[in-house]
Amino acid sequence: MNPSTKISLRGVHKSFKGRKVLDDISLDILPGESHIVIGLSGAGKSVLLKCILGLIKPDSGTILINGENWFSLPIDERLKRMACVGVLFQGAALFDSMPVWENVAFVLRRQGMSKPEARDRADEMLDLVGLPGIGDKMPAELSGGMKKRVGMARTICHKPEIIFYDEPLAGLDPVMSDVITTLMKRLHERMNVTSLTIAHSMKLVREFSDRVSMLYEGRVYQQMSRDEIDQCQDPVFKQFIEGRADGPIQLTDHGHDKEAT
Amino acid sequence: MLALQAIGAAAQRLAYAVGLYPLMMSKVLGRLHKPPWFFSLIIRQCEMVGVQSLPVVLLTAVFTGMVLALQSWVAFHRFGAESMIATVVSLSMLRELGPVLVGLMVAGRVGASFAAELGTMRVSEQIDALWTLSTDPVRYLVMPRILAATLMMPMLVMLADAIGMAGGYFISVHALDQNPHTYMTHSYDYLELMDLYSGLLKAMVFGAIIGLVSCAEGYYCEGGAAGVGKATTRAVVVSAMSILIADYILTAWIFK
Repeated sequence: MNPSTKISLRGVHKSFKGRKVLDDISLDILPGESHIVIGLSGAGKSVLLKCILGLIKPDSGTILINGENWFSLPIDERLKRMACVGVLFQGAALFDSMPVWENVAFVLRRQGMSKPEARDRADEMLDLVGLPGIGDKMPAELSGGMKKRVGMARTICHKPEIIFYDEPLAGLDPVMSDVITTLMKRLHERMNVTSLTIAHSMKLVREFSDRVSMLYEGRVYQQMSRDEIDQCQDPVFKQFIEGRADGPIQLTDHGHDKEAT
Repeated sequence: MLALQAIGAAAQRLAYAVGLYPLMMSKVLGRLHKPPWFFSLIIRQCEMVGVQSLPVVLLTAVFTGMVLALQSWVAFHRFGAESMIATVVSLSMLRELGPVLVGLMVAGRVGASFAAELGTMRVSEQIDALWTLSTDPVRYLVMPRILAATLMMPMLVMLADAIGMAGGYFISVHALDQNPHTYMTHSYDYLELMDLYSGLLKAMVFGAIIGLVSCAEGYYCEGGAAGVGKATTRAVVVSAMSILIADYILTAWIFK
């Protein structure tokens, strides 16, 4: 295992009701790298992310973050370690019961920052994501794109070392997708963070990734740098990035991807 | 073979469902001794469980007391013991009807709310988000709710007892022509402190059951909006059934 990796997975397996979702996943993510995991729906990308975050326990295998196996730590220690992590969820996962600024400053308030100070910091973050003056609104009053940007503000408010994005462009119109992509790039450059993104969008892959891994049938099927994407001749990978229905990947009636024989 | 498979699957589902509650209880008990306890959230939940349940609980209690007085009068009138209505009303309210009826009403109102709220947070990834924001969801969401339900149920039951007895007094004195002084005397003379304490103990246990069952159902909810609906229904049904079963066990134990 490379000691300089930020996130390292070795032999990770996870099954649900007898169906293998992750099958011997090994992956290294280097410090400062923007790594994107792509794959068909149901390929296990979100399960992989949840395993890394400690939300789902893998059946076997090792996951190291900053060289430490968080699963071996007591809950309180794991929660402390989470302070170095920021996560942008697919639906933003804002807390409905609190106004936007409290969502953004949630971790800071939990860390004991005073209310006025936390409010100032939240407003600063909201400015950064292009949403000034909405701190007092409730999440229900926001559009999908605004929620994503508030989620982004919450993700970076406590200055994490690693950011995880789960389908950051899902459900957004092309303009808002471009806004979010630009924001992700800007934050990546400005904060020099390591990021792991789960995505379907090849536009995002081409604009934001340093390296890309494709999950297929529960395994890391392909891994390459962004520059190698167009040179890859693998038919499964090509079909996926070209977004074609015809090719070796076929969808079964159950929605699971399956290679044609 | 198919029948065996169906039985196996049903047993598996039952074991999973029943296993949720001990699992949640072990999580809560394992965290009780260590901070943070989120006192402000406990107070907010106490307001939600206690203050906001008052109208429905008091309405239930007053009509129960009134009906009890009327029904007791029918029975006691047949052998000229109408003066005992007061004793029956107060004993029934304190020992049985107060805790059980308040428990059932709170299971419907608060249990459904806990399960729906936590279930929605689960399916919209808000519970996962809490974890990633360095916050233990069990401590932040579940413990304040269970504690609030356990603490507020005895308060609600005390008020319900008083209002139920007042309802019985009103009907007996104003509709059944009972002597107010005799009614008051008979209300208290045959009561023992144990009658009150046993009702309050039941109330605490019922509160803990409602909190635990509803939070477990919501916390482990899966399957989107439909899943939240099912979890909410299960929370109310299992809480109500558990209250009735626990009531028998506690009654048998206390009055042995």
